[in-house]
Amino acid sequence: MKKLLLILVVFLTGCQGYSELNKLAIVTAAGIDKKNGEYEVSVLIANSPKINSSNKEGEAKTTVYKAKGKTISSAIRQIDLKSPKELYFSHVNCIVISKEIGKDGFLKVADFFMRNPETRNRFYLLQVDEKKASDVLKIISPLESYPSQSIKTLIESSQNASNVGDTASYSNFIGRILEKGYDPIMTTVKINGDEKKGGKQSNLETTEPNTYLSVGPLAIYKNDKYITTTTKEETKVIQLLNNETQELTYNIKYKGKDISFYSNMTKTKIKLKNKNHIKITVNIKGDIYEITKDINLNKEIVKINKAWKKSLKKNIKDLITKIQFDWNSDIFGFENMIYKKYPKSYKKNLKNLKVDITVNTEITGAGSLAKVIKEDK
Amino acid sequence: MENVNQIIESLKQKYGNSKDLNSRIIKIKGKNIGIIFFESSSSTSTISDFITKSVITEKQNLFESIFKNLENKLWNCQLFTTDDINELPYYLSSGFTIIVTDDSNKAIIMETRADLDRGITEATSEPALRSSKDSFTESHSKNLGLIRKRIKDENLWFDEVKIGRRTKSRITIAYINNIADKNKIKMIKNRLKKIDIDGILDSGNLRDYLTAQKSILPQIKSSERPDLACQELLNGKIIILTENCPFILILPTVFLDYIKSPEDENQKWANATFTRLLRFCALVITLLTPAIYIAVATYDQNTIPDKLLISLAVQREGVPFPTFFEIIIFMTVFEILRESDIRSPSNTSIAGSIVGALVLGQAAVDASVVSPITIIVVAVTSICSLIFQDSDFINAIRLWRFLFIISSCFLGIIGILSFSLIFLTKLASLENLDTSFISPLSPLDIEANKNAILKLETPKLFKRPKYISNINTTRQGGKK
Repeated sequence: MKKLLLILVVFLTGCQGYSELNKLAIVTAAGIDKKNGEYEVSVLIANSPKINSSNKEGEAKTTVYKAKGKTISSAIRQIDLKSPKELYFSHVNCIVISKEIGKDGFLKVADFFMRNPETRNRFYLLQVDEKKASDVLKIISPLESYPSQSIKTLIESSQNASNVGDTASYSNFIGRILEKGYDPIMTTVKINGDEKKGGKQSNLETTEPNTYLSVGPLAIYKNDKYITTTTKEETKVIQLLNNETQELTYNIKYKGKDISFYSNMTKTKIKLKNKNHIKITVNIKGDIYEITKDINLNKEIVKINKAWKKSLKKNIKDLITKIQFDWNSDIFGFENMIYKKYPKSYKKNLKNLKVDITVNTEITGAGSLAKVIKEDK
Repeated sequence: MENVNQIIESLKQKYGNSKDLNSRIIKIKGKNIGIIFFESSSSTSTISDFITKSVITEKQNLFESIFKNLENKLWNCQLFTTDDINELPYYLSSGFTIIVTDDSNKAIIMETRADLDRGITEATSEPALRSSKDSFTESHSKNLGLIRKRIKDENLWFDEVKIGRRTKSRITIAYINNIADKNKIKMIKNRLKKIDIDGILDSGNLRDYLTAQKSILPQIKSSERPDLACQELLNGKIIILTENCPFILILPTVFLDYIKSPEDENQKWANATFTRLLRFCALVITLLTPAIYIAVATYDQNTIPDKLLISLAVQREGVPFPTFFEIIIFMTVFEILRESDIRSPSNTSIAGSIVGALVLGQAAVDASVVSPITIIVVAVTSICSLIFQDSDFINAIRLWRFLFIISSCFLGIIGILSFSLIFLTKLASLENLDTSFISPLSPLDIEANKNAILKLETPKLFKRPKYISNINTTRQGGKK
């Protein structure tokens, strides 16, 4: 009898959560747009097989389904009706939102993805620069064998070059919104070229793709609302101060000539001196990457270093001023630091903060060339 | 005893006038000398050369009793007398020759066995690269000799019992007297004595009598390697040899013995440790892979990395069966293939493997009856199971693997987890001859663990494992 009961226990569980792999529509990316007060959700399904199926890995075709609804979940319900398979959200690795969503406030959208037990919190959150979020999903990338992964690989590969790294992750973004005295930033993605051509197979067949995606500058948020987009130079400085720079190329003008520095050793310390005083120290070591005209390096390297230091300091100062007065968005969490140290006397006073900036630069090498290449006359 | 003619007649009647029972009566000085033997199981040339000759030269014997004279004169080292007529059939069948005379009520029994075995050949079921090549055979005395010549200590004792009402098979319990555990020997003897069966033809028949608990897992290892047998004897284990069977039994066996191979002892310690760890991994893989695949593919898809999941999903496109059904079908087909490969004569097994590889593997995928990943899972599982040499062990693991598959069908990863608990509990609950099946891991014996999953250098192994025997545990000198 006991044995029978034991066997029954196993068989009466009724296969909770059972689903076959080929009955799932694996969603790897979602885009959210807003149109006439309604949400337009588009999902990228990764595992739609090719028509002439040679079941080889990596040859999966992608499909984008789109639907409108008053809420995100009602829109997704609409997609579920269209899709022959059950939508499966656990492998979403990227969510693209449009500018309108950002302006409207992101927290309204965030709830669905945070609440859904299927989704992981480790996906990338991107804001599309000008166009619709659904267009981003449709672009087929020629270099990626899994088309559905192209946005993810784009971000991961440009992590070094454009320093978007951890900034793009969803949990990071939400974490910053929820933290006191912290304002989030979001990476933007840009469609280059005609978005209508980008979704066609022909985009893969040309050597120079008509349409491609690229990671753009950062979007600055105040609480959960979009404020503005930074310039390229500002992006660099922001990530430098955020300590997320892995590689930094920095150009200065020196005596009317261009000099590039390359550095992969940067360290930024932001310290609180007292309630109203923040001290930023940036240590940066770099090599000379490129010089366009003849300069006697032996003599002038100290001067070049000084110029670099000066330029960097100026840029940082400009950015801090912008943050304090133009955007009024505390993306470095100065107020958060104050709150952590003096929780009782905390009040919002980003504008009145005194910010000291120290920059230490060091030129460690001049590359393999001692002199500048020039014609010997 | 009656006279010679009567004895011969009664023996022939006992054997139902079987034609291979031969006899010859030689008359010397009015007295009959009878020679009885089986031409099938004894060597007739030995009989002609040594017995018949000696008997005929009896003619020159004038004064002494013929029986006494023969007893002293026969040229053979194995010779004894008996006065019990009921003992005679056992010796006759074994290939002995019986000599009876009119002037004595005793019979002379002389060893004239024919060489009815294949000789010592290489071990086929347990091949090894770097070990002695000989293996046990069907000849009982040769088997004993293979052990005796390796261990020259007088403490190597052979106890013999005869089991089987009809076969009267010789079962030898071999052990080293001042190492092996006396209690265990006593228990084994008691268990063997209780057996009352018509025949024991293989040591496998004895296994069930020697274990106390029921289990699919074999609790007694069998081997055909004399070097392994001697190694285990030196560890204090007890070996059981069965007449006419090349497989010996090693008692007590623990779970880790199946992970070890006889070659480990001859290898560098690091290599032996590494191969043991590999075998351990293989055991886990062969036990769990299909179950984990089913669980992950039908319940816990979120545990698979993105790209792998997409590729799995695309591969499964168009496959008509549920995942677990696919796996079960293909596991079954593989087991049938393996079974048929063992059973079929070697020249047809090639055809079998071609059909298996091409038809079942390639064509089934092309026809999208199964997904390629299923083939991979089944292949990995079966390759890993081939590492283990004891067929009983593989079969037990196979059964547990199917149970794991079923549990994962119903409960996913949770099913596997809970079933692993049942499996471990079952392993830990097994006990034979006062030895836990998972010793020396539990109860923990650090000294024995130096040669369990890991193996230390041989000069550092000072003690014998205590779970085998507690007596005289020093294995080598030199330790302070």
